Amino acid sequence: MQSLLYAFRQALQTPSRNPRTAVALGRLLGFAFILCFATGIYSHFIQDPLPGMHFLTRPVWLYQVTQGIHITAGIACFPLIFAKLYSIFPLLFQTPPVKGVVHLLERASIALFVASSLFEITIGLINTFQWYALFPFPFRQTHFSISFVVIGSLAIHIAVKLPIITRYWAKKNAYDENGEVKPLEEHENDDLVRLPLTDIGIGVTSRVFAWIDRAPKPKTPGTNRRGFFVTVGVAVAAVVGLTVGQSVRPLDFANIFAPRKAGVGPNALPVNRTAHAAKVIDDAMSPHWTLTVTAGNVTKDFNRKQLEAMTQYQVDLPIACVEGWSQMAHWKGPRVKDLMSRVGAKQGVSVKATSLEKGSSYAVTTMEPEFAWDDLTLIALEVDGATLDIDHGFPARLIAPARPGVLQTKWLDSIEAL
Amino acid sequence: MAVRLWRYGLLLLGLALLGTGAVVLAQEVKPTRYIGILVWFIGALIIHDGIIAPTVFLITVVMRKRLSKVPTVVVAIIQGALVVAGIITLIVVPEVLKKWIGTLSSSILPQNYALHLGLFYAALVLLTALAVAFYRVIFTRRQKLLSSADQA
Repeated sequence: MQSLLYAFRQALQTPSRNPRTAVALGRLLGFAFILCFATGIYSHFIQDPLPGMHFLTRPVWLYQVTQGIHITAGIACFPLIFAKLYSIFPLLFQTPPVKGVVHLLERASIALFVASSLFEITIGLINTFQWYALFPFPFRQTHFSISFVVIGSLAIHIAVKLPIITRYWAKKNAYDENGEVKPLEEHENDDLVRLPLTDIGIGVTSRVFAWIDRAPKPKTPGTNRRGFFVTVGVAVAAVVGLTVGQSVRPLDFANIFAPRKAGVGPNALPVNRTAHAAKVIDDAMSPHWTLTVTAGNVTKDFNRKQLEAMTQYQVDLPIACVEGWSQMAHWKGPRVKDLMSRVGAKQGVSVKATSLEKGSSYAVTTMEPEFAWDDLTLIALEVDGATLDIDHGFPARLIAPARPGVLQTKWLDSIEAL
Repeated sequence: MAVRLWRYGLLLLGLALLGTGAVVLAQEVKPTRYIGILVWFIGALIIHDGIIAPTVFLITVVMRKRLSKVPTVVVAIIQGALVVAGIITLIVVPEVLKKWIGTLSSSILPQNYALHLGLFYAALVLLTALAVAFYRVIFTRRQKLLSSADQA
């Protein structure tokens, strides 16, 4: 067994698999993970704030940018994690497999780190096109809880590997005078030296390894290493460049693989949840529809004509989704705070918005005071110069600055001062 | 000493975050769903360590054997193109499948991903061929320069 593991490790040796490569890639991947975690946590708490939390409403594109970064960094993680795992793959076959309790824990933590990282970025990607049938778990809650596992195991991994990380962090310390990566002392005898594998004496397997070993070794290790990094760079540029147009409009021309496309949808805006899927068409199209506005014991109903008769404001705000896509739009309608004043709501209170949609976890949302009383927060009746499409929330929807699209409640039924 | 302090600090931070993850999981996800998460975890390891990594290794060995006479740079360009094609395929094929199954909104997966993937492969082949041709020209010119320098 030991010979077999040893043979695997030897066969997998290549100049690009070395501690310096692992550290250089680890830095990039760690940075991408932290970006994803920070932007994900921001999105989580803006949707489920803890008591006393307040959020910025400016710049208006704050949420749009953070979630664009979340998804783009997440996509970039695919080539980065594959490259990182490639650089350390021979260590999977280290001998002896377990040296003691501490070593067992270390290997278990790496297994958890790799599994949770692959899991997290994969379900994140699949969620962007809502293939929920593949998930035997609730996406949002699972993605949130496993994010702590990923970052926790990242911290443990850095702690365990810190001596190697510090040693190979700077390029000048990582290479010798011939431009070769300096070997790690503890593995000097077996890790980075290619040995003939014809004599390991394990029957058919030995012949397989001998066949592998007879493959010519790379003639120019420097070219091999540079080629590896160029490949990783091109792969990251490809996955990011061909999808980021869903978040960054000037790059829309290159968006051929993202699950959303700017300008595609009713009112030339993408739609996540349609009126049909939300089962609101009859109620939303009813001529008797009114928006019920309540503060304490005071309740007033406004039909669309009455809403249109109020002072109309026009604002440019993005519709931005946690799934990474976003698009700026021009919205028109009365301010939420004007409606609240009509029913005598106390300035600075939170506002609950209820949709005509039933049974969805986002049918009822709460707007914190900083959003509800913002001058830019509207009951939108029009978008980009046209009446709201039914899929965009006709007869009326919320639109507020720096807020997730899923909280910009569509098909409004009522708003209430809390 | 400083390294040791950092190590303990990071270890404690990591354990605290793992604990937080466990608490959040217990609060937000029903225990009956844990088995599904575990299956995904194990599946991810099997797919990477058992399928993707050995396949990449096998392709590398075969290429190293078959293309032993080809300049290293050319082999690196071809291998790089294969890696890029493979990663894009892994990301785009699920979109092709989901689009084929159908989505709840016409804005979700609105593009022709299968066609785009085909065009991407074609462009990649073209760019790879150009990169190889470019290298060949440079390489030949350099060889000529070297041999004329030798003769001089």
